[in-house]
Amino acid sequence: MRGKQNAVGWLFLTPAILLICAFSLYPMISALITSFRTGTGTSMSFAGLSNYIRCFQDDVFIQSLKNCVFYLIIQVPIMLVLALVLASALNNPKLKGRGFFRTAIFLPCATSLVAYAIIFRSLFATDGFVNLIAVKLGILDSAYNFLSHPTSARIVIIVALIWRWTGYNMVFYLAGLQNIEYSVYEAAKIDGASALQTFFKITVPLLKPTILMTAIMSTNGTLQLFDESMNLTHGGPGNASITMSHYIYNMSFKGVPNFGYTSAMSFIILIMVAILAFVQMKVGDERE
Amino acid sequence: MNSKVKMVFTYILLGVATVISVFPLLWMVIAATNKSVDVIAGKLTIGSFIVENYKNLVAQQPLWSSFLNSCKYTVLVTVFALIVSALAGYAFEIYRDKAKERIYGVVLMSMMIPFVALMVPLFRMYSKLGLLNSAIGFMLPSLATPLLIMMFRTNAKAFPVDIIEAARIDGLSEFGIFFKMYIPSMKSIFAAAGVVTFMNAWNNYLWAKVIMSDNTTQTMPMLISNLISGYVTDYGMLMLAVLITTIPTAIVFFALQKNFVEGITGSVK
Amino acid sequence: MKKRFVSFMLAAVMSVGLLAGCGSGKEEADQGASKGDENTLTVWAWDQSFNIYAMKEAEKIYQKDHPEFKLNIVETPWDDMQTQLGTIVGAGNYSKLPDICLMQDFAYQKYVTTYPDLYLDLSDSQIDFSQFAEGKLAASTVDGKHYGVPFDNGTEVACYRTDILEQAGYTMDDLTDIDWNRFIEIGMDVYDKTGYSLLSVQAGSSDLIYQMLQSAGFGTWKEDGTPDIAGNENIKQCIEIYQEMREKNVLAVVNSWDEYVATFTSGKTAGVINGCWILASVQTAEDQSGKWAITNMPALPGVASATNYSNQGGSTWAITSNCKNTELAEDFLSATFAGSKELYDTILPSSGALATWLPASESEVYNEPQEFFGGQQIYSLITEFASKTPSVNLGVYYTEANMALATAVANVSGGSDIDAELKTAQDTVEFNMGK
Repeated sequence: MRGKQNAVGWLFLTPAILLICAFSLYPMISALITSFRTGTGTSMSFAGLSNYIRCFQDDVFIQSLKNCVFYLIIQVPIMLVLALVLASALNNPKLKGRGFFRTAIFLPCATSLVAYAIIFRSLFATDGFVNLIAVKLGILDSAYNFLSHPTSARIVIIVALIWRWTGYNMVFYLAGLQNIEYSVYEAAKIDGASALQTFFKITVPLLKPTILMTAIMSTNGTLQLFDESMNLTHGGPGNASITMSHYIYNMSFKGVPNFGYTSAMSFIILIMVAILAFVQMKVGDERE
Repeated sequence: MNSKVKMVFTYILLGVATVISVFPLLWMVIAATNKSVDVIAGKLTIGSFIVENYKNLVAQQPLWSSFLNSCKYTVLVTVFALIVSALAGYAFEIYRDKAKERIYGVVLMSMMIPFVALMVPLFRMYSKLGLLNSAIGFMLPSLATPLLIMMFRTNAKAFPVDIIEAARIDGLSEFGIFFKMYIPSMKSIFAAAGVVTFMNAWNNYLWAKVIMSDNTTQTMPMLISNLISGYVTDYGMLMLAVLITTIPTAIVFFALQKNFVEGITGSVK
Repeated sequence: MKKRFVSFMLAAVMSVGLLAGCGSGKEEADQGASKGDENTLTVWAWDQSFNIYAMKEAEKIYQKDHPEFKLNIVETPWDDMQTQLGTIVGAGNYSKLPDICLMQDFAYQKYVTTYPDLYLDLSDSQIDFSQFAEGKLAASTVDGKHYGVPFDNGTEVACYRTDILEQAGYTMDDLTDIDWNRFIEIGMDVYDKTGYSLLSVQAGSSDLIYQMLQSAGFGTWKEDGTPDIAGNENIKQCIEIYQEMREKNVLAVVNSWDEYVATFTSGKTAGVINGCWILASVQTAEDQSGKWAITNMPALPGVASATNYSNQGGSTWAITSNCKNTELAEDFLSATFAGSKELYDTILPSSGALATWLPASESEVYNEPQEFFGGQQIYSLITEFASKTPSVNLGVYYTEANMALATAVANVSGGSDIDAELKTAQDTVEFNMGK
């Protein structure tokens, strides 16, 4: 019986494993080999660890690494908490117009990058909406060019990321919340639990696996962040907001390519994400 | 606490979130009705140029064939990605053992590297296998996505083990359990996974462009990229194209989100 | 049992469907590629209303004598083309390259030097390269060999709003043949009297610095190909001029391309200085027709080799080594872009595509007065500018130097010291070259 189940399990896994081996693992191994080689043209030679050592001598790469870590630390927690709050608010069956609210809050991540980059730049432009409001309310003395200062440019990226991805993460929570019977909430209500208590005592613990999953996904997404840096700030001012993936792209396709070096930088991202994901799993997975 | 106040508070929260979320979309709608110079000048009132923008767009780009291409590829990718990943996610959780745990780790790792790094080796492989210029070639890498597998696995944890055991005793096969019990009870997960996959497949661009490069296989994201590559960008026309590109994902989401209310409880017990 | 059978069947049917669907997809694509019979050439190019339009007109002209000739033009934005070319050369499989592709001039040295077998050497073909402007031809020439047929012109123009200048008491003559010091004086005066900046620029771009440098024949490379950035007094002078203009509101710095275009189309600035292809954007502001005029750009002050002429951008047609019918491709380009006045006469009035093929500029079309520019004969004027533009070697590592300089400019704007920033830029470029 166990043997048969085991065989079925492997059968279920076969398509996915084959596809991942062919289209992810094989090119990954190939890229790993490339990361130990160096050269600009078609001729490449073995270089040992020199590409990896080079990464840490590259000021721009280090800057991009710091930027990504900054985005990760600030943006991911805010976004996930916000998504969780919105999802639990939208899970109330007594709420009217849930479909409308859900769709509206999901829409940002479906909005085309091209449009959203233009809108965000114009919102944060010197004569843009944000400056207009901030000056009127007396928060700022005079208009501030957000995208031309390092810290504020990074903050614009974070705001944009939160705007774009909160609804996306909310979807996972909404789906996960369906695994919790609503009667549990009803019971808690009868017991006189407050909204906050219900949230922390019921919603969060029961959604823990989903929260862990979104945390790993967001970590991965932020460390591989590309779109916002490329389209919203162009990595600027200077390289103040550039991300690792953006820099890798520039080095691979814009300048004279050195695929050995760019592969090495890519594997540094992989190592960082893998370590963080491992830590998150150890902290978050209570089963073992 | 009085639940009326709570409800009012909830509506205010959702209202604010909705306004912030929808504002850029409204801007897009307005921009699509305006002339290019007015769009970048920041005009915020509805204009009368939507017909002209549309005419310019179809005169310059194969709009509807690109739209159909996008639909075709996206639907195929979504359907097969859901099947492949649901099977894998389910198997990783329900039939878990040490060997599968290790493989799961490898699967997760395969999403942690930027795709840019894989393009050159993948292209080399494709040219050997004769997959260049083929639609299947650009769909294959998106069929087994670690993200979906992780999602199905995470949610399979909530599928009660005792129900599986009971079904086995009743003589239901492993396939039967998956197709007749797991799938129907996981409607909300399939809905969420479907939306996410649809959106990713719809916006998938870089790899398609690299291996296809032919006008007959142009998709919507390629069309938009074409619109912004010239010396002069017609922003009114661009926003119309962007709007048309956004609508399908919005519709798919709206259609599928209804499943978020029917949870596991209704169908299993 | 029956249900299980049904689900199995369903899965089977779907897999077959996938295979069939993909099979047909493949067929379609193969047909696309197999359009490449002997008389069809595949072309990669971007911009429907400019490059692709010109290519289509060239096709029509060539078809008059070769009725069986056809082009399969695949629209490929430059950014995407870079990714495609990079992947293709990285994988070392050229079978996916088109017959002809459009190349940005600044990327020529990089591709030809790094991948010598990527493009065909056209020096021995029937194309007469002596009929192209020398400065333009330099971009696609490596070690004396010609790797492309020059097309799009990037000659620098300065356009001003004559109505705003008038309000401040200036005419176009006051802005012709001047240097940047005078430009700043006038700019401050215009700003005081009208509130308009005279010029705008996109932040995070070093293009204006490059334009200034080239106007005096300066580059960013030493004779031996090493970067010449740290301690380079010419670059320092250009950045200082940039900063002075920015501080005195003569130069408005905006964050993106769309905002940049908006500065002059929606009337926030009174002038534009860029490659002449910018005129197409200027002319989208139909309500400003007749209010614009063009002249040459300001020169670097106190520099012996200074001129009022420069260049920004431009592109060239290349024939790839994957070309199936090189004879046809060469004959086509030589009969059209390097030999047809008719072609240039057609595309100039409707798309503003200025030739770099010298015989074309003798045509009457070049002397047509342009209503938008107050009846000025702008095309013959730009052709004259082109002939006076100093030629500069942009170098194999142009993109790296460009990005490093852009970073330096941004940091100086943020308050850093110029010398230190130039040193950093030099280090960055050297680091990138030390691969």
